[in-house]
Amino acid sequence: MNVLEQLARTPRAAIEFSNILLTTKDAPIGQTPKDVVWSHRTTTLYRYRSSQRTHPVPVLLVFALINRPDIFDLTPGRSFVEFLLGEGFDVFLLDWGVPGDEDSDMGVDSYVCDALPWGIRETLRASGEEEVSLLGWCIGGTFCAMYGALEPEGPARNMVLLTTTVDTSVSNYLPWVGRDSFDVEAVTDAYPSVPGRLIDRMNKTMKPLNNFFVTYRQLFAGTLDGTAKREAYQPMAKWVANNPPFAGRVYREWITWMYKENRLVKGTLRLRDRRVDLRRIEQNLCVVTAGSDHITKRPETLPILDLVASEDVTHLDRPGGHIGLMAGSKAKDGIWPDIADWLRERSER
Amino acid sequence: MADNERRTPIDQVKALYEDAETRTAEAVETLVRREGFGELLARVTENAMAMTQLAQGALDMTVRSLRVAGSQDIVRLGRQLNRTEDKLEMVLQEVERLQDELAAQRADVAALGGLFERSERSDGSSSQGLGKGSPSSSARRTGSASRQGGSSARGGSRQGSAGRGGSGSGSAGRRAANGGSSASGSSKSS
Repeated sequence: MNVLEQLARTPRAAIEFSNILLTTKDAPIGQTPKDVVWSHRTTTLYRYRSSQRTHPVPVLLVFALINRPDIFDLTPGRSFVEFLLGEGFDVFLLDWGVPGDEDSDMGVDSYVCDALPWGIRETLRASGEEEVSLLGWCIGGTFCAMYGALEPEGPARNMVLLTTTVDTSVSNYLPWVGRDSFDVEAVTDAYPSVPGRLIDRMNKTMKPLNNFFVTYRQLFAGTLDGTAKREAYQPMAKWVANNPPFAGRVYREWITWMYKENRLVKGTLRLRDRRVDLRRIEQNLCVVTAGSDHITKRPETLPILDLVASEDVTHLDRPGGHIGLMAGSKAKDGIWPDIADWLRERSER
Repeated sequence: MADNERRTPIDQVKALYEDAETRTAEAVETLVRREGFGELLARVTENAMAMTQLAQGALDMTVRSLRVAGSQDIVRLGRQLNRTEDKLEMVLQEVERLQDELAAQRADVAALGGLFERSERSDGSSSQGLGKGSPSSSARRTGSASRQGGSSARGGSRQGSAGRGGSGSGSAGRRAANGGSSASGSSKSS
């Protein structure tokens, strides 16, 4: 394409580019049919419809508090949920919902000691089974690990932890939120539920040029040469832009306990007067790390492998980023079958 | 070399630009991970939060002085609703536990009734004896059923001990052990 052609195409590309950005919010995501099984406050337990459940032990998906769990079920063909259903699993999703200011009293214990066990309980009731596989991603994985440490003989048989923060001593976030001068109380005093936008901006600032400029520059270049894929860009962009607030108390506890004091890996974390000791985890454990993850770097997750008491421990390390690992174009032929294989071997009665 | 010759000036400029962009991105990432940037961010955040709090306080006072419910009032109402929902959840868990216990007892009684009928058919005198003894044996069975229930719900109880509602969680294990009708689950969802 010569310069004149490029100039001639620019107005059209600009219109196409702005149209892609402006209609991103209309992109359909999370379309796999599901039913509400249980709800409490902002938390909802869903069960995905399936006519081919062949493995008795159900899989309960637990996502982070940042962004929405739609990433498990982005679009048809790019849906981990759809994949698991196709593999014969009974799939449940624990959706933390969108907390408001009135939910600012929800702390880490509310999620780990109430919502998660209650969600598991309802999963067991709905499926008629006695055991469950937990699949936690990011903070959801940390919550699952905490739960596993508190309830080593509980109904969780298998745990899959995806890009999960355990040891923050090497985290990229440490210089920001781990320092004494970062006053987490000031944030939660100003915002009883910390706006998701604020957290999203902070996350994006970790790779500022890429997140605030290069993504859009590449999209524009794609529209200019006709290679931009609207159906690939929009669902992911919509998911990235959907940032629910972080309930104030859990934000304060997460930053203080995990980043300022690094309590989980030190074994000093206590929830409702019970010590969360990772050495008590006995479940079959699969830990997944991503090579290019800058949000939860590999060394932040790996200490769990040496701490747990589980006899069955698997570590899967794959190329990709924090989200791209599971939602990227290579996930379907890469990490998804690996996780399904691991679960399949451990999901029979 | 041959590649370079085939590349147009535009391609070369593009390649140069992309290289510069990649290097700049790396440099900026290194910059934002520095302690100094972290300190700056902490100060800016603190200032922004203080200003936000002042602005929100002033706005809320203005709204409330107009005798309109401010955000604080709405949050207070929301919290009351949350507390009510927490209590309702506890009650629901207790009801489910009692339902499961009742179902287990009924199953025991039915099994005992079947046993009683069979013995009556085979021997009238022995059935009379069994009939006399049935209340106490029923009680024993019930007791053992509760114990069984307790043990089958061990997982649930353990869950419950974390979830403040040992009794409620116990129902999960028991329900699962009993074959796991999802009727009450669906009624709740409705």
